[in-house]
Amino acid sequence: MTAPTLPFADLEQVYETLATTLDALSKEQERLFLAQLALALAHRVPDVALVREAIEEARRGVAVAAS
Amino acid sequence: MRPAGRDEHDSLYFDYPRFPFVRPAELERREVRHRVAIVGAGPVGVTAALELARHGIASVVLDDKDSVNDGSRAICISRHSLEILQQLGVDKCFTDKGLGWTRGRTYFRDREIYRFEMPHSEQERFLPMVNLQQQYIEQFLIDKAMASSLIELRWQQAVTGVSQDGSGVSLEVATPEGDYRLQSDYLLAADGARSVVRKAFGLPLHGEAYEGRYVIADVRLRSDFPTERRAFFSPSVMPDSTLLVHKQPDGIWRIDYQLLPDEDPDKAVEEASIRERVGTIIDMLGEGDDWELEWWSLYKAYTLALDDYRHGRVLFIGDSAHLVPIFGVRGLNNGIADAANAAWKLAWVLNGRAPDRLLDSYSPERRGATLDVFANAGKSTRFMTPPTRGYRLMRDAALSLAVDNDYASDFADPRQVTPYTYAESPLTLADGDDFAAGPIPGAPLINRRLGEDDFLLDHLGRGFTLLLFSDDGSLAPARQEQVASLQAREPGLDVLIIGREPSPQALGRGLGASQVDNWVDSRVNREGGVFEAYGAVDGTAYLVRPDRHVAARWKTLDSADLDAALTTALGGE
Repeated sequence: MTAPTLPFADLEQVYETLATTLDALSKEQERLFLAQLALALAHRVPDVALVREAIEEARRGVAVAAS
Repeated sequence: MRPAGRDEHDSLYFDYPRFPFVRPAELERREVRHRVAIVGAGPVGVTAALELARHGIASVVLDDKDSVNDGSRAICISRHSLEILQQLGVDKCFTDKGLGWTRGRTYFRDREIYRFEMPHSEQERFLPMVNLQQQYIEQFLIDKAMASSLIELRWQQAVTGVSQDGSGVSLEVATPEGDYRLQSDYLLAADGARSVVRKAFGLPLHGEAYEGRYVIADVRLRSDFPTERRAFFSPSVMPDSTLLVHKQPDGIWRIDYQLLPDEDPDKAVEEASIRERVGTIIDMLGEGDDWELEWWSLYKAYTLALDDYRHGRVLFIGDSAHLVPIFGVRGLNNGIADAANAAWKLAWVLNGRAPDRLLDSYSPERRGATLDVFANAGKSTRFMTPPTRGYRLMRDAALSLAVDNDYASDFADPRQVTPYTYAESPLTLADGDDFAAGPIPGAPLINRRLGEDDFLLDHLGRGFTLLLFSDDGSLAPARQEQVASLQAREPGLDVLIIGREPSPQALGRGLGASQVDNWVDSRVNREGGVFEAYGAVDGTAYLVRPDRHVAARWKTLDSADLDAALTTALGGE
């Protein structure tokens, strides 16, 4: 894993922006927004393997949270 | 609060001292003029009195209580605070009694997801954190203050009014044997969150209150779990809550939990509710049911501060100036740094070695520290207690990812207090030279190990210290003259030579200038670790303030620079 990644300080800003953006949406809009965001971000990643890796990471996280 | 049948000073482990009322000189109708009055004999007020005494300034400390704090509120002392306590000569009782720690664990839905380790190395004298109940913190400081002839502690004396004019401050004081008026040149308000002094001047706090209320409960429990900070997010016993567990001396454990959104705080602090909730938590920790309830309290997270920490001849220190959330242990530790900052400046002004405007630098430096705390503590608080649906979802997403991915674990970092750098302060000179390493101007000195039980910070002077790096341990004749003339001007300046070789010269008191109460000392650092850590070469110098913060530094010192930097560090021309 030597691909460049977002510095943590920027990731923190993303966290804050997402939190306030989500708050401005209704609960019903939340899922659609997050799915759109995932596609929009994937579009900006030139390597599909990285996108698949991220999908798998998120899927495992959900499994953990549900266990 | 304590269990039914036990009064506020009936503790399972701590014998509360009783401080008697002693009739002050004013009640005997004697004319007294104090140089400094300090309102509040808590940890912040007494730290200020000790720092003033260290510089030869007498103070009178007033408190309406007759003992130390009723329960243990603040329990974590940072390394930076311990270094301040070392300068006051009281660190040993803190490290002997306290429990030092470096590690923490984070759990999400009962699974351990993250361990953190605070920066620590053999270069440090003190651990990054030491846990000690507030009663002990206060007791140790008060014991030290009682041994000082420069500090008068006045117990059971309540300040009821304050006023000031261009020449001094006047306090109305109520005592068990009548009221009196106290006059002083300056006042330090260390009277806490509900500051009487702040209210007397009608000074408002600005900022915000956070969602969520928390209970802190201390229990006595026999457990072998090491001294670590444990944080539990969404534990199965309280899925909508966050809880923290800390170990304290004397077999006491701090349990800190968030009340549920719909929970009635009045009901939650009833003894039966506390016992039920704490019992469930201790059971989850796997500690059995053999525990005793010691004390508990309710709190809410705030980020509130005064607009200016200086109000004429009054400086606000500690909670009277700012309220910060509990996460990251910033309340007490910032209060101690406030006390040290305000007290040395006041001492220099009262000793006639700096203009009154030196005190103007107190607010930008310490309020700057508060705003930095707000930024960090705000993040911590939103993580610990998500205020909205969006924050809650993001928090849970970060924690879920953190189970398997290090990049997300940093979100769970507790962002523990770090000392603030006064880079923007009017007292600080920005670097003119390139340094590859070392504390930048405004930052506190970093410690280095010099030998067995021997560290760099052990050798600082009482006032300003000029740290001079020298390959052969000597001072060139020109440099000697320069140091002597500087010491003649600023008697509170000591010189510490860091040499790769032992100094060939006889060093000691009053080098060059006789009758000056300061010294030149040297330490040998053959391996050169101090040189490296400070980005130093032969001839490098750091000018260090009495509170260990760097005022200026030079790769190769020029005498005019040093003179100007000292003037700037004392408030300017």
